[in-house]
Amino acid sequence: MKKLLTATTLILSALCLPAVQAAEGDVGVEAAMDDRYCTTCHGVEGIGNMAVEAPRLAGMESWYLKRQLENFRAGIRGTHEQDTQGIAMRPMATKLSGESIEDIVAWVGSWEYVPAQATIEGDINQGRSAFQSCAACHGANAEGNEALGAPALAGQNDWYMVTQLKNFRAGFRGAHPEDTYGSQMLSMSKALGDDRAVINVVSYINTLVK
Amino acid sequence: MTNPVSRREFLNLLGAYGGTSAVLRAGAALGFMPSSSQAAEISLRANNGKKVAILGTGISALTTAWELTKAGYDCTLLEASHRPGGRMFTVRAGTVIDEIGNYQRCEWDDDPHLYFNAGAARIPSIHSSVLKYCKELEVELQVFVNESKTAWVQDDALNGGKPVRNTDYSSSMQGFVSEMLAKSLGNSEVNSSLTESESETLLGMLRSFGDLNEDMLYKGSVRAGYGSGGFLDHGTKKDVIALRDLLKTRLARNVMVTTQEGTGSGPLLMQPVGGMDRIIYAFANRLGNRIKFRAPVTEVMVKDDGVEVAYEQNGVTELLKADYCFNCIPSHLMSGIPNNFPTEYTEALNYIRRGKAYKAAFQAKERFWEKENIYGGITWVNAPIQQIWYPPHNIHGKKGVVLAAYNFGGANYTEMSQEDRIEDLLKHGEKVHPNYRQMAEKPMTIAWHRMNHMLGCAPRWARNRGGWSEKEEQMYETLRQPVNGRHYLIGDQSTQHSAWMESAIQSAHYALADLDQRVRSEPA
Repeated sequence: MKKLLTATTLILSALCLPAVQAAEGDVGVEAAMDDRYCTTCHGVEGIGNMAVEAPRLAGMESWYLKRQLENFRAGIRGTHEQDTQGIAMRPMATKLSGESIEDIVAWVGSWEYVPAQATIEGDINQGRSAFQSCAACHGANAEGNEALGAPALAGQNDWYMVTQLKNFRAGFRGAHPEDTYGSQMLSMSKALGDDRAVINVVSYINTLVK
Repeated sequence: MTNPVSRREFLNLLGAYGGTSAVLRAGAALGFMPSSSQAAEISLRANNGKKVAILGTGISALTTAWELTKAGYDCTLLEASHRPGGRMFTVRAGTVIDEIGNYQRCEWDDDPHLYFNAGAARIPSIHSSVLKYCKELEVELQVFVNESKTAWVQDDALNGGKPVRNTDYSSSMQGFVSEMLAKSLGNSEVNSSLTESESETLLGMLRSFGDLNEDMLYKGSVRAGYGSGGFLDHGTKKDVIALRDLLKTRLARNVMVTTQEGTGSGPLLMQPVGGMDRIIYAFANRLGNRIKFRAPVTEVMVKDDGVEVAYEQNGVTELLKADYCFNCIPSHLMSGIPNNFPTEYTEALNYIRRGKAYKAAFQAKERFWEKENIYGGITWVNAPIQQIWYPPHNIHGKKGVVLAAYNFGGANYTEMSQEDRIEDLLKHGEKVHPNYRQMAEKPMTIAWHRMNHMLGCAPRWARNRGGWSEKEEQMYETLRQPVNGRHYLIGDQSTQHSAWMESAIQSAHYALADLDQRVRSEPA
């Protein structure tokens, strides 16, 4: 009964409000906006978002994330007209200061690594043998190797890795003259004969644990 | 009656000889198209404080909260952004456009007439639920002029790129189409389908529709305005634009159908005085501190007896336990929020694509369009800016806000810098109005695809132009059913006619009706 009375009071008091109040600022206050926008696309604590094709950041190495943000900012990545997802990412990075990048890298580093769920099914055995050439840089368990500049692959969203491998193979990523590591990856990706081989190798990576 | 023609046959005939727009016009007249609708009466059983978590503050969420609060439910709304309303967003002096990578703060003059409805902007007469809440919440409305015959049509391929008045274009097009239809009535196949009296009626209409002469030919019309005179002296007709020239632009498909009511784009539309967000704040001010801002949802877990929603506020994760949850977070953002929805529900959520849309506006130093006899309506431009809108309110005032681009597909504006976007709208706008660049003050742009906490405009369900597939219909039904009777998906994403406030409100009403039925059937 008390609740009902409260509700009634609310309605009565609501009716006494002026029909239109000054809009902005009444119920929402603008606060200082930083550059920590990542989770809108990349999901809560960077778990990745398939619907907007934004990959997992949780667990991504700081040195790799920093390099990619700098590459996006400099136009080394995300400028090829066929790199749809990279083009979408690039404007997010172009306005970042060095300080903002450091802040984002530290923030992302605070998120827990949780491996992504598999969404593709390929031939794991075929993938395993194809992966041997990947393992040289990315590690036998796709755990990554900072000394070689090769990021971890285990636990990353498989749909993202498929897109990136296809982009490397087609030269949509890694073709920029200043993309040192990307150009290595571009030539390595040619070892995968076709899209099927891409699916297979990523299916194998899905079985690995960082 | 001999040789009767069914309504369907008649439309087919028109389709064969007059094209789609003729069918649409005729269809509306014959009652096949949506006409009036009645707002649903919501009467929820009074409730003693069941807890409801409402995710987002789009108009579906606000409608839900308002109706449930009136019935005694205990509502909490979680909004990730600093403002309520989602895609009902008005920009005016001081407003922040929180676009990722393109933060803008509006510095227009502080004047109630100077605003830009960056999202929803028009209310059709048949959107009864929106109008019902405007009435209930005392939101003052005024007429919005959607079509002005004195506005322009501009295409580099037409008239050497010089703009043509809408009325010059449409009068001529109407004339030639009528002339062709009249000629086709001489065709025996068409003629044999109609009685003599029917043919006469049709010819009479065509003569009037196209302003044809006694020989049923189009030779110009004073409907396009006078070449000279017209008041103290007899008016003279302007030169006719030849059919071949009219067909140099594909804008006819826009110019000729602006006034189709069924799709929500009628000649008489409405807008709230002072901006579309007056509706949003009418709800939000009444809901008061039930709304938590800057409170992004971080997890949604549906339980046997309710829903647990985690959210973050001031750096702290909070848990909201509720009996029911109404969720208008865009489906593509839910994909990045941990949840325990059933697989088929998640698959359906992930299927919906996010729409792209781009708008831009500036404050005009002077109401330059009024000097060109324009007092509202739309100029159509064959460029990515597509449309220029002139404010129908505050006529003869000092300044006004011009909508300088509205691209419903978004084009490539999403990737353009603010400087490039502004140059683009000025470059195309000055083909229509020579002093455009000088008149434009402080342009603002909005690419919904990149808006923080939004990342898209109207959701897109059907992948094929032909309509919804069976699979899509099934997924839609999956999302219309509450998860475990506890979690409701609302918003225009949960309707078959996205991009309209009316749809979003009706999705809320649909979910509320389901909830009410469940609550009523619970043991006392």
